[in-house]
Amino acid sequence: MVANVKELKAKEVTVKRASPEEKRELSFKDEICVGCGICEKICPVQAIELGPINAIERTGAEESKISIDEAKCVLCGMCSPVCPVDALEFKIDDKSIKEMEEYPKLIKSSEISDEECIYCKACETACPRDAITIARVLPDRSKLVTGEIEIDKETCVSCGICEEMCPADAITMEHHEPTSAEPTVSTDINVDKEKCVYCLICKKSCPVDAIKAVCRSCSYGEYDLNPEDTEIKGSSFIDEETCVDCGWCEEICPVDAAHVEKAFEGELLIDQEKCEACGACLEICPCNVLSFPKEEFGKQGAENVRAEEKYCIYCGACEKACPVEAIEVKRTAVKHTPTKSKSWDKKMESLKT
Amino acid sequence: MVKFYLEIYILKIRISVINTHGVQMPKHIVSGLKYLTAVELIRDGFSQKDIAKILEMDRSTVSHYLNGRNLSWNSIEVAEIITNFCSKDFLTLTYALLNDAEKTRIIIKTCSKKKYQAKVEDSCIGCGLCADTCLMNAIILDDLKAEIDAEWCCGCFMCGDVCPTNSIKISEEKNGS
Repeated sequence: MVANVKELKAKEVTVKRASPEEKRELSFKDEICVGCGICEKICPVQAIELGPINAIERTGAEESKISIDEAKCVLCGMCSPVCPVDALEFKIDDKSIKEMEEYPKLIKSSEISDEECIYCKACETACPRDAITIARVLPDRSKLVTGEIEIDKETCVSCGICEEMCPADAITMEHHEPTSAEPTVSTDINVDKEKCVYCLICKKSCPVDAIKAVCRSCSYGEYDLNPEDTEIKGSSFIDEETCVDCGWCEEICPVDAAHVEKAFEGELLIDQEKCEACGACLEICPCNVLSFPKEEFGKQGAENVRAEEKYCIYCGACEKACPVEAIEVKRTAVKHTPTKSKSWDKKMESLKT
Repeated sequence: MVKFYLEIYILKIRISVINTHGVQMPKHIVSGLKYLTAVELIRDGFSQKDIAKILEMDRSTVSHYLNGRNLSWNSIEVAEIITNFCSKDFLTLTYALLNDAEKTRIIIKTCSKKKYQAKVEDSCIGCGLCADTCLMNAIILDDLKAEIDAEWCCGCFMCGDVCPTNSIKISEEKNGS
């Protein structure tokens, strides 16, 4: 009889079964798991048990969010494709079932179109899972503002006013203690034309009118700017391992460059009467859907906890974490790729509530 | 002195008894099983050469077997009793005696007198436990569902015993149906 083998590496659990015919392997990454309990719900042999999520999250306890009983697990792999955050991976003969057509997959994705992206980084800042990295290359400042600047070193009295006033730190003087051989306070004054933005503050503040400067942009408009020189280049990257397809990027993007497809449709219901504003749901939610409402002076808030449902993935982690059963997460649709297996199809459909 | 020789003599007899009925026993039963298989295969139209190859035996041994020679004790009778065991016992005992999956499969398939119908219900989740368990290699997974090859199924139902969803139904095929 072939038996399952369980391996524990840090917070990663692996259950394996190897026979001469095939090798099956289920691995669970605790740091990715959000504790929604969908795996527990779908497991056909009750081998998965959700831990005390609330306590684990609040105390930072060194405990795995789910436990897999290797004596019960039959390595069917059903828990893997339904995990909304891909914390469970199932492989047969070292090939992930994500790459196998016969296994159903949740239809979910997040994409940022580089064609439309202006690299404003709003999504990077908003992403609740820090899954987005926007790398941008900014244009050369010196190519955006052009002009002429010249300091008449004969007239200059080395007072240092321009150096102190320059907002771009473009002017530097070679200060020194005067000697009889060199009876000056500065030996030289220079303008770094890479830094100068031709704002003319130096010219206007010079007490002896030693600076001649002109800004071409102001007097002639933008005719001499090469469009290529103003271009902001960059790239966007979404880490699929941490992304939960919550839709924050899509919502916050000012140019509709981010597109998110969610696997579950549903409803998030909060019973404000029951809610005791403990904040457990806020901590567990992987999508920053929930927040405490801002207090308004002199106004008693009707809401204990606010939900912005457009970011919800209907994983149900908050419902599981709520100690007073004030939250109900309904799933009305589960979008997945088709499977010929009737039992799998039935199980996928059973995720609807 | 006479007593001493007598003791040695008795000891020699004991050792030979152990050799015949103890240590050598599994080998004799295997010979019996191979004999029965060879007889069936000849009936099915295989040549002695084929049989020797299938059962990994010398051609001369096959020939001897088929002529009823070189089989010690009542190994054929014992083998016949084993082939009439219930399928699971026949299979597991044969496998224990041979310790060779491929030859076990051939002996079981050839000597098993019963035919089975196997049905896998839609509740199958495709965990593959049955396929891993089946000594006859009669089960494959197709589209997340087990498929049992009735040709090779020996009716031992070890697959059904491990199935977590009780999805396997095996029944004996009645003659003529």
